[in-house]
Amino acid sequence: MKRPLLALLGSLALLLAACGGGQPETLTVYSGRTENLIGPLLERFTAETGIPVEVRYGQSADLALLIDQEGDRSPADVFISQSPGAVGYLAERDRLRPIPERLLGLVPAEFRNADGLWIGMTGRVRTLVYNRDLVDPADLPRSVFDLTDEAYRGRVAVAPANGSFQDFVTAMRELYGDDAALDWLRGLAANDAQTYANNTAIVQAVARGDVPMGLVNHYYNLRAKAEDPTIASENSPFADGDIGNLMIVTAITVLSTADAPEDAERLVEFMLGEEAQRFFSEQTFEYPLAAGVEPADVLPPLSAVGVATYDFDRLGGGLERTKELIDESGLEGP
Amino acid sequence: MRAVSKVPDRTFETRPPRRWGLRTVVALVGVGFAFPVGYLAWAAVGLGGEFWATLTSASTLVPLRNSLLIAGSTAAAAGLLGSLLAWLVVRTDLPGRRLWKTILPLPLVVPSFVGATALLAAFGRGGLVPFIPRVEGFWGAFAVLTLLTYPYVYLPVAARLSTTSASLEEAARLLGKGSVTTIVRVVVPQIRETVLAGTMLVFLYGLSDFGAVSLMRYDTITRAIFSARLFDRAASLTLGLVLAVLALAVAAFERLGAPTRTAPFATLPLRYPLGRWSVPATLFVAAVVGVGLVAPLAVFVFWVVRGSATVGVGFSGLGDSLAFLVEPTLNSAGAALAAGVMAAVVTLPVAYAAVRLRGWVPAVTSTVVNSVFALPGLVVALAVVFWAIRAPGALGGLYQTFPLLVFAYVLHFGAQAMQSSRAAIAAVPRRYDDVGRTLGVGRWRRFLTVEVPLMRPGLVAGSGLVLLSTLKELPATLLLAPIGFETLATKIWGAAEDGFFAEVGITSLVLVALSAILTWLLVLRQASVTSPPPPN
Repeated sequence: MKRPLLALLGSLALLLAACGGGQPETLTVYSGRTENLIGPLLERFTAETGIPVEVRYGQSADLALLIDQEGDRSPADVFISQSPGAVGYLAERDRLRPIPERLLGLVPAEFRNADGLWIGMTGRVRTLVYNRDLVDPADLPRSVFDLTDEAYRGRVAVAPANGSFQDFVTAMRELYGDDAALDWLRGLAANDAQTYANNTAIVQAVARGDVPMGLVNHYYNLRAKAEDPTIASENSPFADGDIGNLMIVTAITVLSTADAPEDAERLVEFMLGEEAQRFFSEQTFEYPLAAGVEPADVLPPLSAVGVATYDFDRLGGGLERTKELIDESGLEGP
Repeated sequence: MRAVSKVPDRTFETRPPRRWGLRTVVALVGVGFAFPVGYLAWAAVGLGGEFWATLTSASTLVPLRNSLLIAGSTAAAAGLLGSLLAWLVVRTDLPGRRLWKTILPLPLVVPSFVGATALLAAFGRGGLVPFIPRVEGFWGAFAVLTLLTYPYVYLPVAARLSTTSASLEEAARLLGKGSVTTIVRVVVPQIRETVLAGTMLVFLYGLSDFGAVSLMRYDTITRAIFSARLFDRAASLTLGLVLAVLALAVAAFERLGAPTRTAPFATLPLRYPLGRWSVPATLFVAAVVGVGLVAPLAVFVFWVVRGSATVGVGFSGLGDSLAFLVEPTLNSAGAALAAGVMAAVVTLPVAYAAVRLRGWVPAVTSTVVNSVFALPGLVVALAVVFWAIRAPGALGGLYQTFPLLVFAYVLHFGAQAMQSSRAAIAAVPRRYDDVGRTLGVGRWRRFLTVEVPLMRPGLVAGSGLVLLSTLKELPATLLLAPIGFETLATKIWGAAEDGFFAEVGITSLVLVALSAILTWLLVLRQASVTSPPPPN
């Protein structure tokens, strides 16, 4: 008589455990970072916390549009963006849930949103990439503003349709004003700057010698060199503190539609922990932003790069105007 | 010969068929395909987009002109190239034609951004093959798009040529006409509709492409749509609407084209001996395959081999495990097969009605179906999201499921199946159906036993086009697939996005191999084993 009762009680307890808290809900992540650059970490997160994770990969801008379109019915809990522009778009539309103070404190204030709506995960630095067979290092520009000089006519590649270039122009507007930014864009257009589709296309073109130099994020040439160390493209930072060395943060945010915000916040915390930051530093050649992790040896330290800082918060709202300025300058399109 | 082709097809027809059931089905399909344009119109107006102001602004007109220029010239070139290749493979004694038959459709499966990247790596300045002048701008985009899209013409025309009658050509030859005269006056009129249908597809694809034009640095309307998509939604959507309206106009214009001439079917089409043209013809086909397929494949292999030295995350070249590609390969195959079959089934009533029925419903529907194909994939995907997320009850539950993904593919690529089917249906002489009717055979039985077997090569070719297009589809797969559902195309995109070229290479090689197997098994074998009933 006693045994069946015990068994019944036991299974009831198991059932209760399964229903309440014991069986965590699946966390849905929309990720603008591709699988190679985050997948292994998400697996580690599940192994460590027992929280299952599902991921939808895509371009940051497209996923932001998707989340916007999905509205209240969005299945997404967490959004990981390659650039602040896409999170800014969602912040403006009240789609982000504030991140708790204790997590915000993990990252220096200049790499997160002041209202706590998103937080920087890694940094990518804007830089000049040049072909060492075609350009004498002595002739490299000291400032990104030098690229409008006659000496660089037709020799510089840019990707005006790309998010990171647009983020960079927004930062330039914030620091130097719209007029200076427009002058610079017009100067590039007048100087016959070559437009390419994206960062990867520029690095490929520079490595082949199709164009002598270009403006990109530091990551892409390191990646290209990881696969082929013999290529002739080299990163060259501008002078210390030049806005050409701007750091662009990749961001993580919790969405207002998150079903289990605590689980989502645990993922944010995990991505800012030492294991994840070390992965970003050693495996993906990015600048870690938290947990005291140092950048990989292949990267010049941040102090040497002289990263320009500015108020990232103003990025989201400013991008529409940036787009107008790029259009107006004639750099892109007719 | 002209007299022969004017055999009165409508002898037994006493009154035009009404077919209300068919018309209703066609109208419903039309409503389904109107979702993307409806979304564009709704959203553009809602966001305050100004259609006329956008349409007439200089920053629209130049890229728009470029879009028309690249789409038009690519369509013309691919039309010629695809028809010529089809004729050489199906109707001559070209050496190695069985092999060419399997290989020639394959460039269609290479995503245009990968094809462009590979061709730049091979033929760009400083590329693997020294080549001057450098490949870029208009001519670069023209070359890439022509080489990747001629299968839109090649597949349906090859199917059509395999069912055209030898008897007319034999008659012409007996009357003392030379080969060239026979081809121009007998063969060309018979395949004209099919060639036009395929050329139309190339044109619409040319309007929608972003990958090849952006990498070749040629400024088109899709660049404007993409670069404004996040920060100037109204402009982006209005430009999308401009593209849709343009496609509607062009598709409507195409319908004014003269009807095809039908001719009796024969089991064995005539084959022309190439004679002294055999070597040049082989070299020509080899050159097309060489630049359009072998060169990209060689670059993929080069990336894989070079990647063997890779350190860190990602696929690291030769010797690394390929297990990560198993599931995406199965997913790709399943999605492509489902889309291929569904697209043919869904668009068949439209194609049939457009050829056989009068009235505005079939005409409007087929125009709408065509217009969707001219839109960038991202626009189609967002349109499906827009409607699906708002759908009530059970329909809403379909969001980000496999059926909805297939629906998006069918929506985007349905035009390919429809165009191919339409040409196939137009080629079936109406009097076969009429004969059946006078013999008292039921409508469905007539359709299934007489007409479908005759159309089959064309229907299969259309399915094949959708299948190959689905294999490389990206935006809808990324946004609408069940979460975690990865395909070879999404793998290629992910790897290319962050510069993992060894992984782009190996995944592209697997994609081309899968396409070759599917094309051979499902398209070529199916299309070639047809044996239409002997006429009369």
